[in-house]
Amino acid sequence: MKTNQNNNSYKEIEEQIVQYSEHIDIPEELDFIVKRAIKEGKAAPKQKHFNFNKWSKKVAAVASIAVASFVGMTNLSPTFAKSMSDVPILGALIKVISFTQFDYHKETSDATIETPIIEGLQDKTLEEVINNRYLEENKKLFEQFKAEVTDLESSGQSAHLGINSGFEIKTNNDQILSIGRYIVNTSASSSTTITYDTLDKQNEIIITLPSLFKDNSYIEVISENIKIQMLERIAADPTQHYWVEGAPNTDDDSFSIDNFECIDANQAFYISDAGKLIISFNKYDIAPGYMGIQEFEIPTEILQDILVSNYYIK
Amino acid sequence: MEPEIINYILQNKEKHYRLAYSYVKNKEDALDIVQDSIVKALKYQHNLKDIAYLNTWFYKIIINTAKTHLQKQKRYFTTDESLLEDYTPPIYDEYRHFELEQALSQLSYKEKTIILLRYFNQFELKEVADITDQNLSTVKSTLYRSLKKLKLLLEKD
Repeated sequence: MKTNQNNNSYKEIEEQIVQYSEHIDIPEELDFIVKRAIKEGKAAPKQKHFNFNKWSKKVAAVASIAVASFVGMTNLSPTFAKSMSDVPILGALIKVISFTQFDYHKETSDATIETPIIEGLQDKTLEEVINNRYLEENKKLFEQFKAEVTDLESSGQSAHLGINSGFEIKTNNDQILSIGRYIVNTSASSSTTITYDTLDKQNEIIITLPSLFKDNSYIEVISENIKIQMLERIAADPTQHYWVEGAPNTDDDSFSIDNFECIDANQAFYISDAGKLIISFNKYDIAPGYMGIQEFEIPTEILQDILVSNYYIK
Repeated sequence: MEPEIINYILQNKEKHYRLAYSYVKNKEDALDIVQDSIVKALKYQHNLKDIAYLNTWFYKIIINTAKTHLQKQKRYFTTDESLLEDYTPPIYDEYRHFELEQALSQLSYKEKTIILLRYFNQFELKEVADITDQNLSTVKSTLYRSLKKLKLLLEKD
């Protein structure tokens, strides 16, 4: 089958392929995207869900500094003063106020960072701790963004940079307040992360995932249920893809290094209005980037035996 | 091991981009693939047991990431024809590449991957076999079958 003539003409094709590869233009943004992805990848394994106890200590210690920097921010953003707007969400005493803290718009880069402020808690220390944490985290986010812009400008590149951070009230009823805070990082492609805080409004305590269950068995129970749900979603819509064992279309790549195994003990979660437990995953955690943020509602029936009570989860 | 991986990524980013581009044929998706692959590689770096396999390991991630992106593309484009209208009349050199690009798109994902790894990235057949988790003789026969296919497609005109 392999005559001389054939070999020669293959050589021509081979050369053509090599040439073709060299003619693919390298876009300006590549350098920046690669660097940003490295930064994101380095941070990824350490990206644990926030631990409230750890935070409260740290924040209490720097509370006075936080207040001082709050004043400093007035100079930082000219739109600061007029951007405070009330978003009352319920007639209840506890409410969330929206506060656009950082606004930055230039030709190729813009940032909008909105911080929620919780008001009306009886426990003023808790209120302050939560609000200071939101403020501090967003301040850090903005500092990082500014550093990236300076970085990009000094390298003479003209890629677009954008950051958009805000919050979303997932649940607000007489008992539960669940706030999700998101960060969308945009340029040629984007990344999104979201973290939640769930507050018991009557007892004024932050609800953590482990606190809902009798013991650690919830990790396995929830993880197994999520795996089943992933496969169901793939079966219902073949364009959906999750990194999970048993997923179709992976038979010939045997690429299982990143299959989902189990949730983090403090996995991001919130409680829906109907009292269901919703588990959330950031982009890239359990699926390719195009799938974005992923949420799973865990049926209460399968949790019943291990729940401390049906006080929150119904 | 992280510094080595980062260094490798920085040094090979253009090769990685070109490989990604040849699958999806547009800048945005190609950049997305590069980004996704880097994040995955760093996130799961503990799976790389021996730094000697860094190159083949990383390519394994890229081709699999490209594959999931192709599955996503299918959702939006029923046919490539819609894209063709945007092309301006090509000059000769580019025309040749355009023809090749068209011919490559006629190959299956598996065939294309072997061709690209072998000629784009100059991997030895043994390495191609490692990256694609196939045995050497399968890779060889697929490679020759694909070359034959490409030849026929390019001669048609």
